[in-house]
Amino acid sequence: MLEIDNLVAGYGGVPVLRDINAKMAAGEIVGLLGANNAGKTTLINALSGMVKPISGRILFLGEDISKLTPQARVELGIVQVPEGRLVFPEMSIRENLLLGGINAHARKHRPQQMEKVIGLFPRLGERLTQSAGSLSGGEQQMLAIGRGLMAEAKLLMLDEPSLGLSPLFVQYIFEIIDKLHADGLTILLVEQNLNLTLRHAKRCYVLERGQVAVEGDAETVKNDPRTRSAYLGL
Amino acid sequence: MRDEFYKTLASPIWWGALVIAAIMPFVLSSYYVHILTLALVYVALASSWNIVGGMAGQISLAHSLFIGIGSMFSAALLLKLGINMWLGLVISAVISGILGAVIAWIDFRFQLGHLSFVLITLAFAEMGSIVVEGWDFLGGASGLLLPKDTGNFLAFQFGGGHGAFWMMLALAAICVLVNVAILNSPLGYYLRTIRDNEKAAQAIGVNILRYKITAMVISAMLASVVGTAYVRYLTFADPYLLISPVITIEIVLFATVGGLGRAYGPALGALLLVPLGEILRGKLGSTLPGLHYFIYGIVVISVILVTPRGLLPLFERLWARWRGPAVAGKP
Repeated sequence: MLEIDNLVAGYGGVPVLRDINAKMAAGEIVGLLGANNAGKTTLINALSGMVKPISGRILFLGEDISKLTPQARVELGIVQVPEGRLVFPEMSIRENLLLGGINAHARKHRPQQMEKVIGLFPRLGERLTQSAGSLSGGEQQMLAIGRGLMAEAKLLMLDEPSLGLSPLFVQYIFEIIDKLHADGLTILLVEQNLNLTLRHAKRCYVLERGQVAVEGDAETVKNDPRTRSAYLGL
Repeated sequence: MRDEFYKTLASPIWWGALVIAAIMPFVLSSYYVHILTLALVYVALASSWNIVGGMAGQISLAHSLFIGIGSMFSAALLLKLGINMWLGLVISAVISGILGAVIAWIDFRFQLGHLSFVLITLAFAEMGSIVVEGWDFLGGASGLLLPKDTGNFLAFQFGGGHGAFWMMLALAAICVLVNVAILNSPLGYYLRTIRDNEKAAQAIGVNILRYKITAMVISAMLASVVGTAYVRYLTFADPYLLISPVITIEIVLFATVGGLGRAYGPALGALLLVPLGEILRGKLGSTLPGLHYFIYGIVVISVILVTPRGLLPLFERLWARWRGPAVAGKP
């Protein structure tokens, strides 16, 4: 489904990512791990189009998308749930969700999609008219994921969904992620939380200083000594 | 989302307010009609600025440029080339729209932050005033004097006092209605996502460049049209009034005091502050020069301290309390 080919990307011509090669099959749940500054968010931003590649290619469903604008990629079904639960605080929950489905492709099925999302997060359904800014951190994370689902994502990229949440909410969010995976959604999970990710993702990539340090299935990554050194920066 | 706009169009309160406003010239003395006309100029300007500054959250200080093009350029076209002012109004509005699009594109292309955007737009405004002052075609530093307003509608004349008031009333109503229309349309929602968080807006697939340009072009064209109407009312095209960044500061102030990003906020701010400033100046300007600025300043500062989001939200809260609980605010 997704293929990253010798990708070099960064800000203002200065590369942060160097020679990234990665692959994702449809329906897979893949973890992207690494310490702070390893380049996880830059990679996810390069996939969603917010960071322009310097060289290399990104193929989605066989098509080179590396030159497409962010909105064209959303249209294709590549949807990012940005780090830090960036909801629109002054709008209601309903408005936030509806705005998730503004691309031409998703717009047609907004009512059905809305019901699905509410079915997944009943807590949001109970407070549709409440302003998003009044929600707790965990509820905002639900809303951010729900908004991403409204776009009819084929590839959902979650940037640090556990960040700043209470353990109970983290567990809940990961149950939702498992449920989405079981429904056949392809998920890229960007996380700092090593053990949590290894428990839910079948395969993982570990980034270190902008390069892939370790890759493989969860068990391999867990036992590879380079994973630990990538985290501790040794 | 659009229903709200049609509801406004069909609202008896709206039309009632317009009719009451329209009979004001028969009730008030010409001095107060003049003050109200000025207030309406600023209602129109602050409302047009609100599309960019309030809804999209982009504090543009370039609006004196658009007002200046609408006024100085259309005046010059009439006086120097004999071009009818209606046509001048259209030409100026198109040029303002193009300039607005260029500014919005620069903002997007170079990913300007809030402060850089403010400074770049201010630089554009300063450039505009230098060009006007240095170019004789546009009247240079001494300005341009338009022919007397004889009420010839085809020549963009409205017959002075009363006619100018009604024309401004119509323009102000249009600018406010455009605000209501945009706020209740998808464009309004997209602009607010850009204001709240550009990154999240991108993540849901909002075409940031397109909507930034759309907002800026609408706003710039409206400001330019108001500029043409304003200079016709003033008869004298004064570069130090019409293309000075000071006029933008006033607009931003009125919009902020009234309520940024709200359909009626900027109008409310202008309707309260312009008469306040004029009346204070009229009463105190000759006895204690400068005192009116002092009082005006204190009023503005108190409003911003008491209700940072503007007077409109404050009035709504008071209204809700008076009506009892369970009355939600409007968007």
